[in-house]
Amino acid sequence: MSAAVLELQRITKRYPGVVALDGVDFTVYENEILGLVGENGAGKSTLMKILIGLIQPDQGTYRLRGAPVVIKNPAHAANLGVGMVFQEGCLVPNLSIMENLFLCHEIGFRHFGFLSKRKMRDAAHAALGTVKVAADLDTPVSETTPAVRQMIEIARLLWLSKLYQQRNPVLILDEPTTVLTDDERNTLFSIATELKSQASIILISHRLQEIVETSDRILIMKDGKRVANIQARHAGIPEIEQMMVGHAFAADRFREDEQIPPGDQVTLTLENVSKRGVFEPLNFEVRQGEIISLVGLVGSGKEALCRCIAGLEKPDTGSIKLAGKRLTPGSPSEAVRAGIGHIPIDRRSDGLALGMTIAENVNLLVLDHLKVGGFISPQREKKNALRWIQDCRIKAPSPSTMCVNLSGGNQQKTVIAKWLSSKIHLLVLDHPTRGVDVGAKDEIYRLIRQLARTGVGMIIMCDTLEEDIGLCGRMLIMKDGQLVNEVNCPPYRKPSPSDIISSIV
Amino acid sequence: MTAPDSGSATITQEKATVGHKRLQIPAIYFALTLLVVLVILFTLGNQNFLSAYNLNTIGNYAAILSVVALGQMNTILIGGIDLSVGGLMSFTSVLFVVLLQLIGVWAFPICILVALAVGYVNGAILTRIKIPSFIATLGTGGILTSLALLVSPLPVVAPGSKYGLLDLVNGNLLGIPNLLLLALAAFVLFYVTLRFTKIGRNIYYVGSNIKMSWMSGIDIVGTRNFAFVLSGFGAGLAAIMLSCNQFGGDPTLGNVYILQSIAAVVVGGTALTGGTGGAVNTIIGALILAVMENGMNVVGVDAYFQQSILGLVIIISVALTFDRTKTAMIK
Ligand SMILES: Nc1ncnc2c1ncn2[C@@H]1O[C@H](COP(=O)(O)OP(=O)(O)OP(=O)(O)O)[C@@H](O)[C@H]1O
Ligand SMILES: [Mg+2]
Repeated sequence: MSAAVLELQRITKRYPGVVALDGVDFTVYENEILGLVGENGAGKSTLMKILIGLIQPDQGTYRLRGAPVVIKNPAHAANLGVGMVFQEGCLVPNLSIMENLFLCHEIGFRHFGFLSKRKMRDAAHAALGTVKVAADLDTPVSETTPAVRQMIEIARLLWLSKLYQQRNPVLILDEPTTVLTDDERNTLFSIATELKSQASIILISHRLQEIVETSDRILIMKDGKRVANIQARHAGIPEIEQMMVGHAFAADRFREDEQIPPGDQVTLTLENVSKRGVFEPLNFEVRQGEIISLVGLVGSGKEALCRCIAGLEKPDTGSIKLAGKRLTPGSPSEAVRAGIGHIPIDRRSDGLALGMTIAENVNLLVLDHLKVGGFISPQREKKNALRWIQDCRIKAPSPSTMCVNLSGGNQQKTVIAKWLSSKIHLLVLDHPTRGVDVGAKDEIYRLIRQLARTGVGMIIMCDTLEEDIGLCGRMLIMKDGQLVNEVNCPPYRKPSPSDIISSIV
Repeated sequence: MTAPDSGSATITQEKATVGHKRLQIPAIYFALTLLVVLVILFTLGNQNFLSAYNLNTIGNYAAILSVVALGQMNTILIGGIDLSVGGLMSFTSVLFVVLLQLIGVWAFPICILVALAVGYVNGAILTRIKIPSFIATLGTGGILTSLALLVSPLPVVAPGSKYGLLDLVNGNLLGIPNLLLLALAAFVLFYVTLRFTKIGRNIYYVGSNIKMSWMSGIDIVGTRNFAFVLSGFGAGLAAIMLSCNQFGGDPTLGNVYILQSIAAVVVGGTALTGGTGGAVNTIIGALILAVMENGMNVVGVDAYFQQSILGLVIIISVALTFDRTKTAMIK
């Protein structure tokens, strides 16, 4: 076994009402990819933040390449060759790719007092070469895709560790794949595997498949403790899941058992809905309690279609009707009033008021029902919030915890709770289980089935094809802005993914 | 699903009422501590600071300032600002005194209605022309200042025959000055609106995350208009209170209240970036400013030095509450 780069011992971190980390031992060896898994709120991100000095542990020791260190802040950590790509990204949006790459370290390119642009460009090309990004260096970061942004962050960390001559830097990737397409994901992992020869990588993800395939060693955390440390080649996904949540899952992962046939009434009707250059005129219906899954690659137009249904975009032609009543196109407030819910993919920017409490977020849509004598009742507000915190298993000390202090997965659950608590007739779910742990996924599946039983129609876009097939009753396949195929997915007679892939690509 | 108690939904403690705990916690402690420290310092500096006469002076100023600031707070909570409160106060002040002469007691409701209308126009300009409130209200504030000077270029004295009406503000009820009671009523009104009404809550949602609010069907335009109407109300009421208190109107009396009202809001711990803070914060902020304004004179702080101390307090307060994740770049 190769030498240890990082050695943390008995790390403890407490927040009001939670022990985020409880005496965790954590070691990273040279040239390895270490998978880190655990439930939402298990303490993964907190541990990583300690690694890079963003927060300080209450107790514990930190050794880097054998020597004890106190990491003061992320810049200090980067100089020592420990860097992190954040769950939510941290580049400066208005600056160009190159400016972001060398931010605060331009001094090395000084030439008789002037910045040598040429030297900087060469270095930038070299740095981006290691992560296989061929983008215009002057593009503002805000105009690049999440995948490119991640690569820039990785390139910057690698470049910094070279600059400070740190051998075997440690790269932390906190849920890097939540924002990536399948292709981008594969690229990321092939780059990660290549980088292994010169670095160690810590990979956090809720997609156990990719953890098992990519990492060499897997650490499992639960409730702030390290519960297992296993070699990836001996690991099976069911065992990992069991260690993560403490119990096994039924074979009927998607609760097909509870799948019901669609009702007679039509909930949503789309007639000739089109958006120029994005998708062609489309016609389909969603019935009461029916779960429709929209599948297709990037560019298939399914995202834009969902945005049109939720009123976030205006289609060019056609009409969208809910229970026979035509909706004003491009008006989210009318869509919400009519009973259309939309769980967005980007929870932090589109789904939550981060500076407000869980209760205030969960209750946003139902304030009218929480009134007593015309005024919002704090008691009822709290009661409703507590109910949904329990139903969606949001891990938090109290309903008055601010959402900014929740772990990523628990933020996602808060958004879901907000829509579930309101009276909706149709729900658009844009990757509802992204970034949530297996236990919570199961809970979300249960909630979806329950909603269907109460007659809510749903349009879902899932993280994996298996999830799509398992959950939906009917699948609509889109390709280049057209509906190309429709596949029925009745319980126990579901098609296999390979049947469907051929029509997607 | 079994074992919900396996650690995933642990509700360990349930302190503090829902909706009351915000980022303001550290900021409000800072503000309260500051207030107490200031009072102690000024008392040590001059025993007369706590004399009945001086407390009355502080109380009057705090009452008027808190009413403007309570209105201003709403525009800051939704992430904007209202620079027109100064012009509006000046205009309302002279208008009030002129109307008092002409129509007597009706001057009160009409001036309030005018102030509400100005607030609505401010909101409408933002929606129609889509420019930042910072600029829009700078413009309307300028226009209102001109209007005030048009109505009366010089201070106007209230007619002696109408002094009885001024007692609505200058009188007492059970020994408590009406001025304080009016400020208290304004506080209750704003507190209840923000905490217990839907539109008040919407101000927080919009201020916290405008995109999320839009996607969740919140009426952004209506909420914003409402916030600016509230600001107009605060400025209008404060102008009436001040004019009664001074037995006359003044076409420049609002000027100092632009900065003072914003300072009171942020020193109390409401974030300039919107979404966090509230009425309690603003009252404390207004008290701090009133105590500082008066106390520095009472203990004899050099007048040239006073502004810089105030400036320092503002910078510290904003630094404590500013949400840096909301601004892409600090300009
Ligand atoms: N600043 C904070 N204040 C209060 N509690 C916090 C803070 N940061 C984290 N926590 C709590 O610490 C616990 C661990 O959070 P952490 O973000 O490390 O979880 P995670 O394992 O990364 O989860 P996820 O998979 O959902 O991202 C959570 O219960 C969270 O609510
Ligand atoms: Mg996390």
